Amino acid sequence: MAVELEQILRPIDHPYPPFPPKFMQVASGELMVIRQVTREEIPDILPHVEPLIHVERDYYDIVSVRVYAELLGYYRHRVQDEYVLVAQINGELAAIVNGRFATPELGVSLHTLALRRGLRIGAHAFAAKMEYHLDVVGQKEVLIVAESPIGFRRWMIEYNLAKRFEIPHELGGVPSYALTKEIFDKARGTLVVGRRPVPEDLLKKAQEKILPPSNPPKPPPDLLAATRAAKDPTGTAILLQRWKLARPASQSDAGGQEGTV
Amino acid sequence: MREVYVIGIGITSFSRLEYPLSEIAAYPAMMAMRDCGIEKVDHLYVANMGASRVSGQTALASAVVDTLSLTPAGAEAIENGPASGASAIKQGFMAVASGLHDVVLVTGAERMREVNNLEATDFVATLTHPIAEYIYGTTLPSLAAMFTRLYMDKYGVTSRHLAMVAVKNHDNAMNNPFAHLHQPITLEGILDGPEALTNNPFVSDPLRFFDFCPVSDGAACVILASKEVADKVKRPRVRLAGVGQATDTHAVHEREEPTDLLAVRRAAEQAMKMAGIKPSDVDVAELHDAFTILEIVESEEVGFFKKGEGHLALEKGETRMGGKIPINPSGGLKAKGHPVGATGLGQAHEIVTQLRGEAKKRQVKDAKIGFTCNFGGFGNNVVCLTFMRED
Amino acid sequence: MNLEIYAYKCRKCGQLHYPYRMMCKKCHNNEHNAFDPVPLPHKGKLLTFTRLQTLAADFSVPDIQLGIVELENGIRMLGQLQIAKPKSGMAVTGSVGVVRQMGYNTYHGMIFHEAK
Repeated sequence: MAVELEQILRPIDHPYPPFPPKFMQVASGELMVIRQVTREEIPDILPHVEPLIHVERDYYDIVSVRVYAELLGYYRHRVQDEYVLVAQINGELAAIVNGRFATPELGVSLHTLALRRGLRIGAHAFAAKMEYHLDVVGQKEVLIVAESPIGFRRWMIEYNLAKRFEIPHELGGVPSYALTKEIFDKARGTLVVGRRPVPEDLLKKAQEKILPPSNPPKPPPDLLAATRAAKDPTGTAILLQRWKLARPASQSDAGGQEGTV
Repeated sequence: MREVYVIGIGITSFSRLEYPLSEIAAYPAMMAMRDCGIEKVDHLYVANMGASRVSGQTALASAVVDTLSLTPAGAEAIENGPASGASAIKQGFMAVASGLHDVVLVTGAERMREVNNLEATDFVATLTHPIAEYIYGTTLPSLAAMFTRLYMDKYGVTSRHLAMVAVKNHDNAMNNPFAHLHQPITLEGILDGPEALTNNPFVSDPLRFFDFCPVSDGAACVILASKEVADKVKRPRVRLAGVGQATDTHAVHEREEPTDLLAVRRAAEQAMKMAGIKPSDVDVAELHDAFTILEIVESEEVGFFKKGEGHLALEKGETRMGGKIPINPSGGLKAKGHPVGATGLGQAHEIVTQLRGEAKKRQVKDAKIGFTCNFGGFGNNVVCLTFMRED
Repeated sequence: MNLEIYAYKCRKCGQLHYPYRMMCKKCHNNEHNAFDPVPLPHKGKLLTFTRLQTLAADFSVPDIQLGIVELENGIRMLGQLQIAKPKSGMAVTGSVGVVRQMGYNTYHGMIFHEAK
């Protein structure tokens, strides 16, 4: 009985061609590999997404909690025709992007999650995802929405996406934007880059193990800070406890970590 | 006029600070007071540009003085665009030099990341001329870009020179624990590599992504005092030896020679003349590199190099750590960050740290004379300061 | 209707100002309303330009072109450009049009095109 029920619950994936891995050089001079991960690799990724659920800044919380759900849904066979690409630098997880194929013609972009900031890694990873839909699979267009202002600026404005407001997007039912082949071709020169094939040792290093991100976004030291800013601009009681004023007087020893004052 | 000394300094990380603005401003003040062992001050100046617009708070100085329990000391907020920080130091200098006060605390704070990037861009753009610039969609990056194109045409500055400034300042910031960007970049990654155009896209041509400073939160503080007070403080003695300020036309297109930054030239002249020094006497400088081009041009206008030769000095490595005149050992606005109202104080903090010999891995050897240039508007209100180590 | 952008001419010394000033920058004439509005010429030479890709939120286009133009009478002004391949020094002609819409407020300004 249980087996049969699972059979009903589990969607049947259609065969789509895999994403051919590519690599590129990022601003730091390091080489980054973008490749598709298998279902079996998902448990290696989840632990690095989970901490971001508690990072409110830049909407990391809502994006990562949904990515977590989508990755789990993929792993446990609850989302149809989903794929997951990762970007890795020296094996370290730098970005996760995912989406699914609604029909052979129509793609749905789900999420882009950057785990290293300041090198336009998210933009590279997003472009790879679009390349997968339009070039590799040959779809006509991809439906997209943004959940953060950064995303909106990157996708809707930089690519100048078409409006498909009559179609509610799978993410939250909000009006969709669409990337068409034509718009993608215009952006190709500047936004879509990468080299193939990936040198064997580079690819091997990436596939060997997904290493934890070295400097992922972290929650602020005081989870109440954002609330206090609006409601209690001089709420110093909690602050004093946290700052631990007994720290050594030499100020050059204090601070330094991102997020600490 | 009495002599004015910097007796205490403090700073926060320049990054994202999710605290109320008044607390961000108060924190470096606490550090500065601990730094010099002072418990009471006569007066506070609080430098800030956008509290009322970005943080929704007015009368910031009243909030800060109360947060620090320093009432009933007088307190005022100083707003002078991105030059608010150095302007506030200048006010503190005047208060001590005139004999009105003996100990003045000058703190500067900004919380720009409270709003999204589109709003932050627009907030800074409101300093442009409302009728002749702002309504066209002009932002500071676009003014800098048009200025850069003129400079490239006239003096042969190239994108490579601009990228060299960025790489240098990112490298310097690696040794600054307070810097916003701890991320080395390479010429190959941002300029020469096959993916460079995507890594470092045009934001406002000819300027690209890595030609711009990040949007930062942050705060910094200096405590200024008279000689009598400074004598009692057991910290290396640094004197605020010169202040200078000059303005230029509000609309950038109105300037007679559009590649000149006359306000920088005049403010620097004043600040050096008051201190009795020449540009060649300066050992270390913090220049306002909100855009990479500005570091090159300011290095000329303040007199370190001849007009049109700043990029050549950069090529020779003269502005690098260990060079003839190291510029922006802190990483500059480019990599240390640019919390607009606090930037002038951040520059002063770095220079005092350098002159005290406490800059650790980024220490400029034997630095005795330091200089800062805090650039407001697009060069329409500039404040320069000269600091001297006294033994 | 032909819209114009105005420069302001000092009644005392004839100095042209753009943008507007309360006191003359040359003779420092200190009389209220001592300026005559003079329409800015529409022809000029492009001095410098840029394509700006980070705009305030009220713009719904991905980028705008801005440039500084030296007009026939020597006055310089900043304006928007609608020129496929702008070049420093090229001849341009301007027309007044909508340059920005902020909420219910419409702002007019000079938009330059390549001179025919």
